[in-house]
Amino acid sequence: MRNGAGIKRRFQKRYDKPPVVLLFVLPAFIPLIVFWIYPICRSIFLSFTNWDFISPTYKLVGLKNYLSLFRNPRFFEALWHTVVFTAGTLIPTIVLGLILALLLVKNFRGSGIMKFILFSPWITPTVAISIVWTWIFKADGGIANTILSALGASPLKWISSSDTAMLSVVIVTIWKSLGYAMIFYLSALEKVPGELYEAGALDGASKWRQFFDITLPSISPTTFFLMIITMVNSLQAYDQIQILTQGGPSGSTRTLLYMYYQLGFQEFNMGQATAVAVIMILLTVVLSVFQFKASEKWVHY
Amino acid sequence: MNTRYSDKNPLILRILGIAGKTVILGIACVFTAFPFLWMVLSSLKTKADILNTDVFFPPDPQWNNITSILFDSPIPKYIFNSMWVSLAIVALQIVTGAMLAYAIVFLKFRMRRVLFAVVMATYMLPVAATYIPSYIILADWGLLDSFGGLIISSTVSIFGIFLLRQAFMQIPKGLVEAARMDGASHWRALWEIVCPMTKSSFITFGLMNFIGTYNNYMWPSLITKTSDYFLVSQGLRAFFVRDGAYGTEWALVMAASAVVVIPLLVLFAFTQRWFINGIGGETGMKG
Repeated sequence: MRNGAGIKRRFQKRYDKPPVVLLFVLPAFIPLIVFWIYPICRSIFLSFTNWDFISPTYKLVGLKNYLSLFRNPRFFEALWHTVVFTAGTLIPTIVLGLILALLLVKNFRGSGIMKFILFSPWITPTVAISIVWTWIFKADGGIANTILSALGASPLKWISSSDTAMLSVVIVTIWKSLGYAMIFYLSALEKVPGELYEAGALDGASKWRQFFDITLPSISPTTFFLMIITMVNSLQAYDQIQILTQGGPSGSTRTLLYMYYQLGFQEFNMGQATAVAVIMILLTVVLSVFQFKASEKWVHY
Repeated sequence: MNTRYSDKNPLILRILGIAGKTVILGIACVFTAFPFLWMVLSSLKTKADILNTDVFFPPDPQWNNITSILFDSPIPKYIFNSMWVSLAIVALQIVTGAMLAYAIVFLKFRMRRVLFAVVMATYMLPVAATYIPSYIILADWGLLDSFGGLIISSTVSIFGIFLLRQAFMQIPKGLVEAARMDGASHWRALWEIVCPMTKSSFITFGLMNFIGTYNNYMWPSLITKTSDYFLVSQGLRAFFVRDGAYGTEWALVMAASAVVVIPLLVLFAFTQRWFINGIGGETGMKG
């Protein structure tokens, strides 16, 4: 024992040889620098220039790109659409994902196939299923309207009207991410110690009380993790928007990310595009920090 | 009040509970499965039937819609592209990711914590913010519109590093140290001791990233313009826009989608437990 502890201490003190460390670190770190860290820094720099992608030269223009964004109503529309889209996908995904997990946590005949079905959208290409949804949402002759009229409701124009286009994109996104949230909750629920419920039952707590006092706090780390992941995914949603609406009609589904794509890769206004990218980074950082701070109050590890 | 809730419940309430559960799960499953079902049904319809809202099941299944996609369209080529490019990318991501995760967990060097903090910070940043400069780098290297460009720009998976790091943390340090005492190199310790012990995380990493890369759309669509290099999502979109002409050939478009989607569903059917145990179990926040 003494000998082992001595070896351990000696081992902990010594650093590994730099060439060995570099050999293990560089294969991942070089690409990480070239395709992640440098591009982020470069984007920040470009957002202060007037580069148009074609000309070889550009000038530093200070805050001009940011100021013209802040004077552009299109930008605030996109910001608002991003907020609506993020909240509209995050809350239902998490609430419905938890409900489904609660109903499926105890195995019964058919629960396996149900998990399979509910998770399957997540592994299929967003482009393929968005094409299918485009067909479902078709204003005349689409099955969504056939179902609505069978239920006695009036048909909607879905993706071809600016009133309902965002709703349509939100539905597709929830449809795709629901099973993902459910799977996380399933494994979190399985890990809640059974003794907690037994103790709760002995204290005479009703099922509702047990849910709010035992289940919710026990799974709060998973809720927190899902909130961050869903938020990051929603801020970056592109595939379904590109297929279903291309940001339209009349900009009603243009999020910040889609605006970035249009400015950068359609209008080649690299200065403004990278300014939008920097704002997206800041938004992600601010929201994450906010969620981390808030999580200290409600997440129990 | 001291007995368990369900024991005290009258039978009628329990039956109502089961009925409610069945209804909710039933609606959720129908809502989830319906687009897949509708895709398959639509893919087998004639041009006339598909526009007729009274026709739910194809009265006369048009299997030649499927065969024409399989044999007379570029869709199989896109599937093949996606398949081998994703395999190459995932193989690289596993090697680079495992090495970095090993370094972060088992090697001792200055800046180790800083390195992990940098990796974690990039995990949350919007990847799209890197696209314009990354595009320019690939253009400078002459790698736009090539498989090389697709592969080289995706050799690292931050998600994978994070997943493996979480798994490696569970391994007692003494095991690796003992192997080192016996003269094993770090390289051998990684692949002969650490990797077999965390096999399930490696499989989860491989499957998740394979699916992600296979389905990836935005970045590949920005850097490839020639259809020879299209991955499946971009190819399908091109088919949808050009041959589908936004709606004149809906049956063919649905057939193409089905040809792309169904193999993935089959793959998932066989690998379900790795996804479900892997993503639920090991990336869940453990600290």
